[in-house]
Amino acid sequence: MSVADRLPLGDAAGNGALLLGAVCVLLAAVFALTPLVVSLPGSLYVFFEVAILFAVYGVLVLGLDLQYGHTGLVNFGHVAFFAVGAYAVAMLSARDSFAGVSLGLPWPVALAGGVVVAALLGAAVGATSVRLRDDFLAVATLATAEIVHSLFVSFEGVFGGNVGIGSVPQPVSDLAGDADTAMLATLLLFGGVTLFTLAAVTRLTEAPYGRVLRAIRADELVTRSVGKSVLTYKMQSFVYGAALAGLAGGLFALYTGAVAPGYFTIQVTVTVWIGMLLGGAANHRGVLAGLAVIMGLRLLSRFALGVMPLSADAFASVRLVVVGLILVAVIRYRPAGLWGDAEELGVDT
Amino acid sequence: MGLLQNVIFGLVTGSYIAVAAIGFTLVYGIVNMINFAYGEYLTVGAFVGLLTAGTLPVPLPVAVLVAMVGGGVASLVLARLFFTPINHTGPVPMLLTSIGLGIALRNLIRLVAGRNARYFDTETATFRLTGVPDVSVGPFDLLGDFFVTSEHLVVVGCAVGVFLALHGLLTRTDVGIAMRAMGDDEDLARVRGVDTQRIRDSVWVLAGVLAGLAGVLVAIQTNVSAGTGYSHILQILAAAILGGAGSPYGAIAGSYIIGLVLSLSTAFLPGGMAELSSAMAFLILVVVLLVKPSGLAAREVREA
Repeated sequence: MSVADRLPLGDAAGNGALLLGAVCVLLAAVFALTPLVVSLPGSLYVFFEVAILFAVYGVLVLGLDLQYGHTGLVNFGHVAFFAVGAYAVAMLSARDSFAGVSLGLPWPVALAGGVVVAALLGAAVGATSVRLRDDFLAVATLATAEIVHSLFVSFEGVFGGNVGIGSVPQPVSDLAGDADTAMLATLLLFGGVTLFTLAAVTRLTEAPYGRVLRAIRADELVTRSVGKSVLTYKMQSFVYGAALAGLAGGLFALYTGAVAPGYFTIQVTVTVWIGMLLGGAANHRGVLAGLAVIMGLRLLSRFALGVMPLSADAFASVRLVVVGLILVAVIRYRPAGLWGDAEELGVDT
Repeated sequence: MGLLQNVIFGLVTGSYIAVAAIGFTLVYGIVNMINFAYGEYLTVGAFVGLLTAGTLPVPLPVAVLVAMVGGGVASLVLARLFFTPINHTGPVPMLLTSIGLGIALRNLIRLVAGRNARYFDTETATFRLTGVPDVSVGPFDLLGDFFVTSEHLVVVGCAVGVFLALHGLLTRTDVGIAMRAMGDDEDLARVRGVDTQRIRDSVWVLAGVLAGLAGVLVAIQTNVSAGTGYSHILQILAAAILGGAGSPYGAIAGSYIIGLVLSLSTAFLPGGMAELSSAMAFLILVVVLLVKPSGLAAREVREA
């Protein structure tokens, strides 16, 4: 997270991100593959946990930004693709899970499978729903996410019910010397993946292709009148976003070693959306920075909990009240987000 | 348990969904927004009712009236604070604002009222009809013994009362006629001298009153906790869209369909799959949006 946060908005083609991503992955390989071990101070664990989660959500938010920020598709069921990716990877790669299906395939195969399954779900949802008007697309995707969630809970034999699926391989932990090294290597690796994703979506949206997407967002009728197949572009954008969410889900499953319905609630969708809107939709670095702010708030609240005379339960409620009001305030006072381009997004500031 | 009993449960569920869905769909038709915080209005109404019944020595009907007034006031205040200022921005920012407001309200209620479920202390009379002949088709029993509680009758009775009052309002009063005019074409209504902001405010109040009543009905029939409204919002939404978003009469029909589907799927799905009955409602929602997005009352929601 540390690097993607540095905002200055030059470097359009994403080469910097690519280079940085490669460095991160190489460093991760050094820590994971060599006998080198590091020990982290215990007080920093919480930072690492949140940072790893940030890297995973970063891939999510980049996919969502492709859908909403660039193409204007209001996908409010993003967590469904994240969950499907995670479950697919878990079920394909788990060995003798306590509950549910476990096929025990090698994890790279499972990861590819997870991306494909999420993309297929994206294609199915997209083919049927991208024609809907914006707000109804939001409702349809949200309902899809609820259906997916209840399927995971209901079919215990296949998805493990509320327990979910365990015994998923954790490749980084298996390779690295000890827990601390594994954590650092995971962070570097996931950070690298997020940076690669950043580079990829930047390339995509800087290309003429991205200009068509933004044209669709700005005015569909005009875009159609210059001979672009709006529906095809919308579908592609939706599927790309879903596939990225599937990748994020797969990484998440391989990091935690278990998946359960509790990880995949609407809260994920809300966090990612608020991060995107706060940072400024259609600005890749902006959305990552916005997400960092929201997840920083989560980190802050963990520390604040220690000094506040409140129960953990009450404090969680307070945090969510604040998060909800941030969403309301951003839309009202900074509809283009902190780093978004108001003119491009067609909003008044 | 026979099919008939489940139909009764379905009608009861449909009744309180209908009361709420009318308010939801009116807001959609006239303010042109999907109000995702609407479920929380139900919770607010229910808790106002519970608080009144718990602290003041008033009979239940008075507490219900207080809850309805509370719901109406809350709805107007929230609309004035959060929705009216961004009325011009279009459906998506309004929807996102309502999602944020919903999260904030839900957790505020949880903070104030705690996590426990509460219910009205009512005396229930149960009317049983036994000796109804069984008409078995395969494993299912089409008739069978059934019972109706006084709570069931109150819920259904209130809903029918609301339908009649609403029909009177929309057809016989100036405000109601202006509401329908605005739902059809806001600009034309303004040209004809309708004070659109005042009508919008009245719709917010009406929606809040209905939500307050629906919340109390849920509390009477089952119980309420901070999550009650949220767990009903997708059903309300499904009912409103099934009926044709913006059409109150369609919403009533849609609500009973959703209610029946929920109770019948609970009855006939295998034991461990109770969670799926709520998925059924969303499945209907998605299918309606795909097959006939204009709903029963034929309102267009597709653009391409």
